[in-house]
Amino acid sequence: MSEAEIKPHAGAVKFTMLLSGLVFVLMMALGLIMRAAQGEFIELDPALFYQILTAHGAGMVGVAGLSGAAIMWYFVGRYVQLSAAMYWAFLGLFLLGVVLILSAIFLGEFGGAWTFLFPLPAIAGGAWEPWAAATFILGYVSIGVGFLLYYLAIGYPVIKRYGGLARALGWHVVFAGADPADGPPPTIIAAAAVTVFNTLGTVVGAAVLVASLVHLLVPGFAVDALLAKNAIYFFGHVFINASIYMAVIAVYEIVPEYTGRPWKSSRPFIIAWSAILLFVMAVYPHHLQQDVVMPGWILVMGQVVSYLNGVPLLAVTAFSLGVYLHGSKARWDLGLSLLVLGVGGWSIGAIPAIIDGMLVVNKVMHNTQWVPGHFHIYLLLGEVAMSFGFMAWLVRKGQASEAGMSTLDKATFGTYLVGAAGFTMVFLISGALSVPRRWAVHLPGWILQDRIGTLFAALVVLSTLALVLKYAVGLGRGQRS
Amino acid sequence: MSAQSSIYRWFPSLGVLVLGVGTLWAATDGFRALTEESARRLQVAESRPQVPSLLLEDMNGRILGLTHGAFADKAGEERQITLVEFIYTSCPTICQTAGSDYAQLRDRLKQSGLGDRVRLLSVSFDPEQDGPEELRGYAEAHGADGVLWNIARVGVQDLELMKRSFGLRVIPDVWGGYEHNAAMHLIDPSGRFSAVFDIDDVEGAYRALEERL
Amino acid sequence: MTRTLFAVLSAVLFSGCVVFRGELEADPVTHMLLQLPALALAGVLLLLATDLRFVKLPAYFANAITLVAVFAVFFWMLPRYIDASLINPFVEFAKFLTLPTLVGASLALAWRQAHPFLRGFLKANAISMLGVLGFLYIHAPLRICNSYLVSDQQRLGYGFLIAAIAVSLAWTFPLFFPSPSETGASQSKTNKVTV
Repeated sequence: MSEAEIKPHAGAVKFTMLLSGLVFVLMMALGLIMRAAQGEFIELDPALFYQILTAHGAGMVGVAGLSGAAIMWYFVGRYVQLSAAMYWAFLGLFLLGVVLILSAIFLGEFGGAWTFLFPLPAIAGGAWEPWAAATFILGYVSIGVGFLLYYLAIGYPVIKRYGGLARALGWHVVFAGADPADGPPPTIIAAAAVTVFNTLGTVVGAAVLVASLVHLLVPGFAVDALLAKNAIYFFGHVFINASIYMAVIAVYEIVPEYTGRPWKSSRPFIIAWSAILLFVMAVYPHHLQQDVVMPGWILVMGQVVSYLNGVPLLAVTAFSLGVYLHGSKARWDLGLSLLVLGVGGWSIGAIPAIIDGMLVVNKVMHNTQWVPGHFHIYLLLGEVAMSFGFMAWLVRKGQASEAGMSTLDKATFGTYLVGAAGFTMVFLISGALSVPRRWAVHLPGWILQDRIGTLFAALVVLSTLALVLKYAVGLGRGQRS
Repeated sequence: MSAQSSIYRWFPSLGVLVLGVGTLWAATDGFRALTEESARRLQVAESRPQVPSLLLEDMNGRILGLTHGAFADKAGEERQITLVEFIYTSCPTICQTAGSDYAQLRDRLKQSGLGDRVRLLSVSFDPEQDGPEELRGYAEAHGADGVLWNIARVGVQDLELMKRSFGLRVIPDVWGGYEHNAAMHLIDPSGRFSAVFDIDDVEGAYRALEERL
Repeated sequence: MTRTLFAVLSAVLFSGCVVFRGELEADPVTHMLLQLPALALAGVLLLLATDLRFVKLPAYFANAITLVAVFAVFFWMLPRYIDASLINPFVEFAKFLTLPTLVGASLALAWRQAHPFLRGFLKANAISMLGVLGFLYIHAPLRICNSYLVSDQQRLGYGFLIAAIAVSLAWTFPLFFPSPSETGASQSKTNKVTV
């Protein structure tokens, strides 16, 4: 199959990114509402607060996955022929899931958080009916089935073209001494790793989802709460990480267009991705360090792996990005700036995450805003930034090498950076001061921090809106020309 | 491949899908009964079969009818509705919790004044071990008065018939006792099955009794 | 020669399931995880002993036949009919008839010719479903089968969980290292991969 025959499904991907951008703005607006309510700028019924919390959590995880998936589809489509029908099936199931989840939350008043931890969905104390919880879970199932189709559609042609996952991961280069030049491109290595761990995550997620659903419909069937929590955090951790690991493919493919230096599959790069493949799956117990009934060795493993987890990421992607950019004649534009910001935010976000992963710290910090602090860093300043970087690149004018940055672009980027950095810092500071997370109503002593956080959040929403508008205008211009 | 034939390609799979879902639908009474127990309860609720009018021997050695009506004891004649559960008195587990669930139900019935119109029956399916003395022991342990709540055993000759008509499945466990499906069976004044409840569904059973009185 | 072997093995397996049904069905673990798969396997071997193994089906037809097997498996996963097969001779007969034919023979005939996406989808779902059964059986306070003890039910739950892990390993490994006959390695891209 020659490269010339293979065309990425640009139209489908552009459409998906527009959807993603809009959902990002909406979900950020929900976040802003929550912060404003905690800061007592507005009054919000706590029941509604928890519904919004649920929508914000499930919605952000979902749209991060969707935008990451669109990015990976676009670039894997440069190397193998993908099935457009499967992509539309994926998108259709995803949107069906969104409709179900939103109905469960805002019609059924489900407010059990994205984690749907057993047995909360079933025993809601009258806050919502079992059908609302069942609808919420069915929405997840629909999205899960969609992602399963997505990874089948990616995995099958990759295995066929590269001769198995081992070769697609570049193991013949590391273990059999093949020349790195004969190895697969970075995009394929990343895609193969994500396909393996997120398919497993989806399969485990589907099991616990269906078991929870059976429990809701036939309450006589119960689920082992600890087993369910393990499965939920395994799948949740893997899924949200997969979204970042899919989005980073945009960096591997787009940055070379600016620097003129191709991103190579070196031996360290291949080893790092194989390490990621293992670490992503082994690190999930760091979410369960407050569960004293967990076997000790699993918790210790969670802590150790969470130290190691940051290494392949920092050493390979962040360091290589620095090397590729250093001394290159790259001209900075909005796309490149956001992509580089994405790698930076992702790397920096790993630091507070590692701190929270330590057993002694976790005991006092895990239920504070420290945790939303760190995951907002590597999502807001990481995955989301990469997604908007990809979108800016999709609608760029002319060649990447001749790009530039308008004043408006600079203002948008600057506002986003200041807003996101300030917003996440407030979370971290509040967390260090023991402000609890997931509380609808705050004590008077916390209100000032909440208000500062709200102002930064408003900056984020504004600049994101500007990014989406610029993308939409760019798409429209592309249609006309 | 032409566009037309590509539509027909879906037909066999769609046909199997429809047939398969239809079969599963029919086999589970519309996805309502996945287990034998739920199928039994569904069947009881829908077809309301007649309960055989067996004779039981209670803890005081008196003979009484399982259904209301024929051979009913003096108290039973005023008591229109019977709620039956199955036990064996040497049971260390579920029959004991069943006993306390029945005790809760008894208390609620007494409080609301329905206590003289209902008959609660705990029937032993182990007549060889459970003589009147064992039954009395169980009654004392749980506070069954022999009027509102009576403990009885079925005759050996009627055991199989009773098991069959109640869908009662008794299997020996590893400790020399039995495991059995525990449930409360509501028998209406005409001697028909009216509903089946989980053994701990005191609320559901109470509400059903209230409705029928 | 191989055919005779398949036919004999199939007959041995099938009659073993029939003759020792009392022993196999006394424990839900051997009933569900040994007898039922063995009956399906007997059907696979039976088909491999005939000329039907060479039948070339259009993919859409192979998909449909594969789905027949899927629904038959679903049916025999219903605790209600596992219970019924122990007390109702008709249901027992249906079990011995449909598992070899609708499950085993159907898969032997159609599986390899079904669409790779369908196969991958079904494999992933099979792992999930084994996990679901594990989840529900290990912890159910409710007796799912009236014919079996709760403690047996829990053992069966762990059996399902182990089966889920075993099957996922068995299906994942070949994806990493496909055998040369089924790779479309970068050198030759014409062959098929079993997904």
